[in-house]
Amino acid sequence: MNQKELKELIEFLIEKDIAEFELERGDVKVRIKRGGDQVYPTPHFTGPPAPPAAAAGSSARTSTAPGEAASPPEGAPSAEAEKLHSVRSPIVGTFYESPSPGSPPFVKLGDKVEVGQLLCIVEAMKLMNEIESDVRGEIIKKVATNGQPIEYGQELFVIRLS
Amino acid sequence: MFKKILIANRGEIALRVICACKELGIRTVAIYSEADRNSLHVRFADEAICIGPPQISHSYLSIPSVISAAEISNVDAIHPGYGLLAENANFAEVTETSNIKFIGPPPDITRLMGEKEKARSAMKRAGVPILPGSEGILASEGEALEWAREVGFPVLIKASAGGGGRGMRIVRDEEQLPALFKAAQSEAAAAFGNGDLYLEKFIERPRHIEFQVLGDQYGTVVSLGERECSIQRRHQKLLEESPSTQMTAELRASIGRILSTTLSAIGYVNAGTVEFLMDEDKKLYFIEMNTRIQVEHPVTEMVTDVDLVKSQILLAAGEPMDSVLHGPIVHRGHAIECRINAEHPEKFTPSAGKITAFHPPGGTGVRIDTAAYTEGVIPPYYDSLIAKLIVRGKDRDEAVSRMARALEMFIVEGIYTTIPLHRRILADPDFRAGKIDTTFISRLLETHEPAEAGAEAAGRSEKRA
Repeated sequence: MNQKELKELIEFLIEKDIAEFELERGDVKVRIKRGGDQVYPTPHFTGPPAPPAAAAGSSARTSTAPGEAASPPEGAPSAEAEKLHSVRSPIVGTFYESPSPGSPPFVKLGDKVEVGQLLCIVEAMKLMNEIESDVRGEIIKKVATNGQPIEYGQELFVIRLS
Repeated sequence: MFKKILIANRGEIALRVICACKELGIRTVAIYSEADRNSLHVRFADEAICIGPPQISHSYLSIPSVISAAEISNVDAIHPGYGLLAENANFAEVTETSNIKFIGPPPDITRLMGEKEKARSAMKRAGVPILPGSEGILASEGEALEWAREVGFPVLIKASAGGGGRGMRIVRDEEQLPALFKAAQSEAAAAFGNGDLYLEKFIERPRHIEFQVLGDQYGTVVSLGERECSIQRRHQKLLEESPSTQMTAELRASIGRILSTTLSAIGYVNAGTVEFLMDEDKKLYFIEMNTRIQVEHPVTEMVTDVDLVKSQILLAAGEPMDSVLHGPIVHRGHAIECRINAEHPEKFTPSAGKITAFHPPGGTGVRIDTAAYTEGVIPPYYDSLIAKLIVRGKDRDEAVSRMARALEMFIVEGIYTTIPLHRRILADPDFRAGKIDTTFISRLLETHEPAEAGAEAAGRSEKRA
């Protein structure tokens, strides 16, 4: 299978909205899995009034039109796409930016963070879950705000990889 | 009355609960996994929270995730639906500890009924007829053999912590017993974490008859009559109806009275279903109780005009039975439900994927409970039920012909469904005559032996239909 055939195949899969495809022909085996960057309607989640930063974050998620679903991560200009990392919550809960009320936040805009560095807390059922960074880079966006209810997979920070 | 309820479920039952809440003016919170982002229950709830990845254990079955979602959305109550966490007593307890009302019976009752052998003993003590069988858990194969001799072969060895037909073995003679005992024990331990077994007389061709009950918080328990669910494949119900052709008004009333008294004494609250087997002599024997709303609840709703889900919500909010049921239960007409699954109608292999056309039937006496829609995707991670087709007629003949008509006019394209199987059931002379029992489906499927190629062609054309 040459590159042209492969390109046509991928376009066909996108057009027919096929998520996974496997083909074996002779000694050629192709397996394509399209990522979960599909466009979804904004979750109707309304907790306490969502601050502008979070609203901007979630609308950025839905602004990609169908058909562009296979393109690089939503919201980011494609030239820099591979350099930005979205920190997403692994659990449902409440976002806290500092270890306790009144104390300074774990990280602020512009901070350089290392792998494993503590970024924030998401509280669920009275348990404080520490969220660590899994990349090295600079905090360029704080998406969630202190005390905000957070769902699984919701964006908390954007880090520019260094 | 509750202001906001979180529905700890997905698919058609989540939508069903949302319908009841909307009609009661209660705000709804849906939870969903990433695979269910475009689901109808998410679309129609007032708020929706993503709680995890597609895998059930990390989303819908994750008690911390569900409770956390309930906390951040400030709900007053949680409705657990059926399956998933609905009969998980720990979940009910955690909900109550978090100051959220669990819409269902108290955790202790769920625990009691969840241990099948204990439930049997409790019912037996209360005078509810049960199948002859062992008293208590079988301590050994030897004890099993003694009981089997006393009760008479064939017998059924069952897992006490079980359900859904697993951890069960039919034993027809003494020689088979030791090996089957061991097999049931290991299957039960693996599936339910508990290898406790008990033993019951096995009825060769029983009918499955279950009674719907509702209980308020003040001791009143009412029976809403029976459903017959004899059409099953591998212990999964395919079709249910009410009333049962074998039920008489006297038997219905007498079982109803026994259940009201017994369950009230036990302290049963909210909705529940008591399951019986009926032998060829029309005698009923208790087998187990389900402490939740059931898949087939619409069958009872159609013949009694009682909204069972609304009733659950009102009862959980503390309403007494007279405010929930406005008068005695009256049965009118005959209702049948077909469970439409996303499965090949002959091979029963699951058929996940995108539905390209979805046109449910309508007309007099037809009801569809579904979360499926055109362009909707059936994910592979969850059970295969995509729609419930329920019809009501003035009598069984009309209900049968109405169901046959409705199935014919139900269009689903893009995935395989069991609609063709249901059409065969409805066309069957024994079914039409009411001559059914729990062996009906296996006999129906045995009589139809298409060659591989024939099956493929039939499958493809059925998929289009």
